[in-house]
Formats: sequence, structure tokens, C-alpha cells
Amino acid sequence: MASKHPKKPDTRSIWIVVAAFNEAAVLSPIVSDLVCRSYRVVVVDDGSHDATGQIAFSAGATVVTHPVNLGQGAALQTGINFALQQGADYVVTFDADGQHRCSDIARLIDALVDRDAAYALGSRFLGSSRGMPFGRRLLLQAAVWLTRVMTGLHLTDTHNGLRAMTREGASRISLRQNRMAHASELLQQIAASGLRHVEVPVTIDYTGYSLAKGQRFSDSLAILFDLSAQKLHR
Amino acid sequence: MIAQIGLSILLAGVLVYAWTEYRRAPVISILSILVATAGLYFVWLPSHATRLATLVGIGRGVDLIIYVWLVISLILLLNLHLKLRSQAELITILMREIALANARTAEPNK
Repeated sequence: MASKHPKKPDTRSIWIVVAAFNEAAVLSPIVSDLVCRSYRVVVVDDGSHDATGQIAFSAGATVVTHPVNLGQGAALQTGINFALQQGADYVVTFDADGQHRCSDIARLIDALVDRDAAYALGSRFLGSSRGMPFGRRLLLQAAVWLTRVMTGLHLTDTHNGLRAMTREGASRISLRQNRMAHASELLQQIAASGLRHVEVPVTIDYTGYSLAKGQRFSDSLAILFDLSAQKLHR
Repeated sequence: MIAQIGLSILLAGVLVYAWTEYRRAPVISILSILVATAGLYFVWLPSHATRLATLVGIGRGVDLIIYVWLVISLILLLNLHLKLRSQAELITILMREIALANARTAEPNK
């Protein structure tokens, strides 16, 4: 059962976690926009070789730096841990490649509050997406089906990096999958938590940059291998 | 007889190793124990191996033993992979602690 939260939470109690690896080219306006909306922002610089960390800090974010590149899953978990340490009431994960809209965050938080949920998961298939290639759509639909089989969760979009969670929800997340399989692992942990989750329509803006950074078909095979391997050891 | 003793010592080693791994990777451990026990059985009763090999269409008992050994090797290879994953998880925890201890905090907006 999700805990009750006050209506209209203070934006200063909302921490936005941005995992970033070599995102110096696009990060500054994203962080600035988030900071301007009075959110607390933590950018986890995942061992970048460029000025990602410095740019994020200059734009107003708190920066936590992995000494070496560990992967997006590891970076998100570091960010979630940091946000919880800082006393966050809500934690939002937000991609660094510019495909998410800052305006969608308020809708996710509203969904948590209004629908008494612990997790609000963004869905581009309930909302909209601009410039999504056909191959990407097929891959995402396959992931939706697989997630249904593996977790029993009936979701429309399983690999959307825009999600919000309450403090209680965030504290139940403990990602061990450092790399791409973390999105599936996170859904498994949401299912296992027994806490309420909702889907919220969001908009994804695909750009040449975000598509180049996104996942490919071969990555999905690696994800399946990683998820299987994890079940074989503690 | 010398080959049987040598193989038995190796398989006994696999059994001990599998037992020590049980707490960390129970599935791998049980698989290794099953295959190694089957290996020991066929090393000492090769005629049974030949009979079973003929039954499953392999041909000779010695081939069956080689296949069993191959399976053991692959299982141990998988176990090595899992061990590397465990090491990577420990490194991640260490890196995370270092990162969190050195956070550069932005001034909150007034």
C-alpha cells in the first residue's frame, strides 16, 4: 500500500536523477530547464571523457561522478541513492539525451499524488512520440510483450526512462544490472514490491542524437542474457 | 586403471569445488554435482557408459565420457562468468560510495 502524500508537493522535495555519459553537447539546456522549474537536479556523470560533469554543475545541478564508466543502470541507482540521502520525497529519472520534456514531470508527480501510487511510469504509446523509426517501435512492442510474460505487469511502454516514484517506491529499487537490462530489472522490482504503479502519457522527441545513443536489436539479446545470468547467482 | 584414478581425482575436485560454490550459485553447483557424479559413475563402470552411449546414439562409452567432461567445462566457464559479474557488482558498490562521498552540491535556488 502506497503511503499518502500531501497534495501539490513542493518542487524542492522532488529530485530529478539524470544519468549522463559523454552528454556535454546536449546537457546544459536540459539541466537549466529543470533547475528553472525549481526541481533539485542530480546529474550522475558516469565516467564521461568530456566536460559533462562541469557543464552540469555550471547549469545548476549537483554532480555525482563515477570514477569509471559503469553503465546507465549503475548511474541511476547512484542518483536514486543520493536523492534519498538528501531527503527526497519524490524521485524522477530523466534521460540526458534530450528526448524527454520537462513539462511531463509535473504530470507524473500529479499522477503519484492523485492516484495514490508509488510509481508513475511514462508511456510514449499512451502519449506521443515524434520521429520514432519503425524498427524501434517493433523492438519496444516486443519488450512490452516480454515484460508481460516475465513480470505480469500490463504496461504499454516498458523502456521509457521518464519515471517518477515516491520515497517509499524509490527505496524499494536496488538495481544490480549496471547496463541496459536495468529497465527490465526495475520493472521486475516494481512488480515484486507490490506497490501501486500507474502509467502516464508522455511525449518523446526523437532526434538524430538520441537515436544514435539508443538501443539496437543486438542490445536486446544482451539484455536477455544479462537477465538470465542474474538468476543463476546471488 | 591409472586413467580411471586420474579422472576420478579430477572429478572429485569438481565435486568439492561445486560444493563450495553452492551458497553463491546453487543452480550451477547442483548441475556440476550431477554431471560430475555421472562422470564418476561412468569412469568406473565403462560398460554402462557404452550401453548408455549406444542407447542415446553416441557410439562409444569413451565418447560419452568426453562429452560429459565437455559439459562440465562449459558449466565451469559459465560459473567463471558469474563470478566476474559478482566482482563487477562489488566494484560498482565501491565506485558508488566514492562517488556519493565526493558529490559536488549545487546551491539550492532561493
